[in-house]
Amino acid sequence: MSESLVNMKGIVKVYPDGTVALRGVDFEVRRGEIHALLGENGAGKTTLMKILAGILRPTSGEIYVRGRRVRFRSAAEALRHGIGMVHQHLALVPVMTAYENIVLGLKGINRERVEELMESVGLKVPLDAPVETLSFGVRQRVEILKMLIRNVDVLILDEPTTNLTPMEVSELFKTLRRLRDEGKAVIFVSHKLREVLEIADRITVLRQGRVVGTLRREEATPELLARMMVGREVFLRISKSPARPGKVVLEVHDLWVRSDLGTWAVRGVSFTVREGEIFGIAGVEGNGQRELVEALTGLRRVERGRVVVGGFDVTNSSPDKLYRLGVCHIPEDRHLLGLVLEMTVAENSVLGMHRWPRFTRLLGFLDQIAVRRHAEKIIEDFSVVAPGVDAPVKFLSGGNQQKLVAGRELSKNPRLVVAAQPTRGLDVAATEYIRKLLVRLRDEGRAVLLVSSDLDEVLDLSDRVAVMYEGEFMGIVRPDEVSIREIGLMMGGYKLEQLRGSRGS
Amino acid sequence: MKPLLRFMTSRLRGSWRFLAETMLALAIGFTVGAILMAVYGYDPVLGYRALLEYSLNPSDPYYLASTLSFATPLMLTALTFAIGVRGGVFNIGAEGALYMGALGVVLIAGTGLTGPFFLIAALASSLLLGMIWNGVAGLLRAYRGVNEVVSTIMLNWTAFYTVEYIRVYVFPNPHDPSKTVSVPPDARLPLLVEGSELSLGFPIALAATMATYYLLWHTVIGYEIRATGYNPKAARYGGIRVTRAVLYTFLVGGALSGLAGFLELTGRPPHYAITTGLSNLFGLGFDGITVALIGGNHPIGIVFASILIGALDAGSRGMQIEAGVPMELVRTVQGVIIIALAVPGAIRLIQDYLRRRKLLIEEGR
Repeated sequence: MSESLVNMKGIVKVYPDGTVALRGVDFEVRRGEIHALLGENGAGKTTLMKILAGILRPTSGEIYVRGRRVRFRSAAEALRHGIGMVHQHLALVPVMTAYENIVLGLKGINRERVEELMESVGLKVPLDAPVETLSFGVRQRVEILKMLIRNVDVLILDEPTTNLTPMEVSELFKTLRRLRDEGKAVIFVSHKLREVLEIADRITVLRQGRVVGTLRREEATPELLARMMVGREVFLRISKSPARPGKVVLEVHDLWVRSDLGTWAVRGVSFTVREGEIFGIAGVEGNGQRELVEALTGLRRVERGRVVVGGFDVTNSSPDKLYRLGVCHIPEDRHLLGLVLEMTVAENSVLGMHRWPRFTRLLGFLDQIAVRRHAEKIIEDFSVVAPGVDAPVKFLSGGNQQKLVAGRELSKNPRLVVAAQPTRGLDVAATEYIRKLLVRLRDEGRAVLLVSSDLDEVLDLSDRVAVMYEGEFMGIVRPDEVSIREIGLMMGGYKLEQLRGSRGS
Repeated sequence: MKPLLRFMTSRLRGSWRFLAETMLALAIGFTVGAILMAVYGYDPVLGYRALLEYSLNPSDPYYLASTLSFATPLMLTALTFAIGVRGGVFNIGAEGALYMGALGVVLIAGTGLTGPFFLIAALASSLLLGMIWNGVAGLLRAYRGVNEVVSTIMLNWTAFYTVEYIRVYVFPNPHDPSKTVSVPPDARLPLLVEGSELSLGFPIALAATMATYYLLWHTVIGYEIRATGYNPKAARYGGIRVTRAVLYTFLVGGALSGLAGFLELTGRPPHYAITTGLSNLFGLGFDGITVALIGGNHPIGIVFASILIGALDAGSRGMQIEAGVPMELVRTVQGVIIIALAVPGAIRLIQDYLRRRKLLIEEGR
């Protein structure tokens, strides 16, 4: 058996806000292997890797590198022990050249060494080009070179293929194999079954902060991995009556949207949402859900395709216009998007409605009395706990902030509710409250589009579910007519027609 | 009274700290100033007594009037900066807008209008020129992403030399080549204290300050400006056109500094004109930034801060006359005190900026 490079034992991580990310994880990496770390969002993959890279400190547990116990206090210290991490969001200085980025902070490195290294691992980058002019794939190579020149033995790559083209992915895989053959260890963090099966020598599956198991590639099949990844325990169920869908409220035709990096984030998605139904979008985060929601709510440009709400073409309409047409948006990030934390509860209770005649008087003055009354009504209807309507929203707890956002959005009397990750970070009571609310809205005959990476939530609440993977829908199914195995495979990049087609024939 | 109350309560948590900070800053500033004076052989006690006597002496209304007359333009230029900060931009262009506002008065002085007609026309032209001057930076920032600090600083100097050119070649005063044509005597703002420099300009500036307060906290536009300043993403989500909100802060700011230029020319004896090298205007815009920082970028705070700085200005005369401290040293002492006062505000501004940047970086994670 080859030498064990890293051994993590009983790692527990509890975040300051009480979230338990890791519940005693054992993880071992050997010299000369590519070890995939597979799991859903929130399984704890990134947390575990940040601990190994010295960015986070574990609450308890032990780390051994080459058999010696270590306690990292910083990423620099981990780097000195030969452990380097390439993040999903690269940490390069855009205006500096590739070469400058690679040797940043190092002494006694000359150009020949960098060129030798490029030659030996087969990673080619234009050394004199400013990083901002390079494509994402090349930037990633710069980041990898940056680690290699620092002599890392353990290279951690967090979701490295997220923003790469298929060509770039196969280039990356070639490099990784080469590094492995030179005796380095590569940790490949991913949720993509196909890629993991292609590149990894061993696979460790994490679920809800625990290791489900470690397999050799020969032992692994897509089905097995999918089941390990999403296998369910009992969860809270919201009882709901059968849906009675009415008229179509939202129609989306062949929608194409770009990410911040300019790559396609949404690739030709089409669907409809009717009155009185909850349409869920499941999938591992970062597969275009955020961009889809932003495009539907007027916050991101639609490049191709059409969005129709209640018969009106609203492609690339402003948020203001959408709100007036009866769209409301409970955003994924209430701190950055849904609320202005420094402003008061009253002021936040009318965000997006502040120009409506209900809340204004002559000469563009705000009707403070109407605004305060509105806030008080939301506080009462949604049992928001707040020190008062004049308190800044930042003094409210996360759950109460979310209730305020939900209350405000629903006070627009919407026809279409777009809810993105509506229960993220909430405690059990607040979660249940929000979930019941969504079902109630459906029963009142509103159309609900629910985007959530919490699989329990989507399957439990939705009447129909689409699974999104790399900007496309892998399939649209009814939650009661789909197996967990199928959902898991779709989340990992297999299309429903492939799955059912192959079974049927 | 209500806004004042609101100012106090909104700062309730921080009000004691704020007051303590200001007091500490004053003490440090005065101490360092005293050491400076002593080192150069002047009596600090005599100097500071003269400073107080010429600024806050209650026995003769002249001194207090002098303080308030100095506070008048600073209040307005401070608001220009403050409203920018509220909207999330660093508008350094009060100086240039103030020159343009003063130029607006001179342009009308060339027309031969008199009395109230003159005042109305001059006011309109001052506000308009101030708005245009700041609006250019606003347009560049809102629609082209040009950094407003750079553009406003450049526009300040463009304004300086434009006005200087017009003073020399277009509207020179036929009786006195060192200044422009003057405001006609029947169109000058009445003095509130005979023999002082305090004119109707001070209450007008106060009224403009109150108006700014109401604009920011009681109107839709103010709501949009503040939301944009705190969190442009949330503002956009809230259906606010962020570019337009940013533009408003420049336009309103330009109008306020334009008004400051108008009041300096129509209200402040003895020149009622622009003098050589813009010497009766120079620095009023930059000093406004300090006043805004000391006043916490809040209209009410700015009223007090401008009076404080106005008192230092008025008192500096006393230090020269009574204590014989040379002008240069007086300025130095004044500068030390102002820096000490502005430091807490500047630190808060930088902290805010860093916190916001951190938030954005974390979101990118």
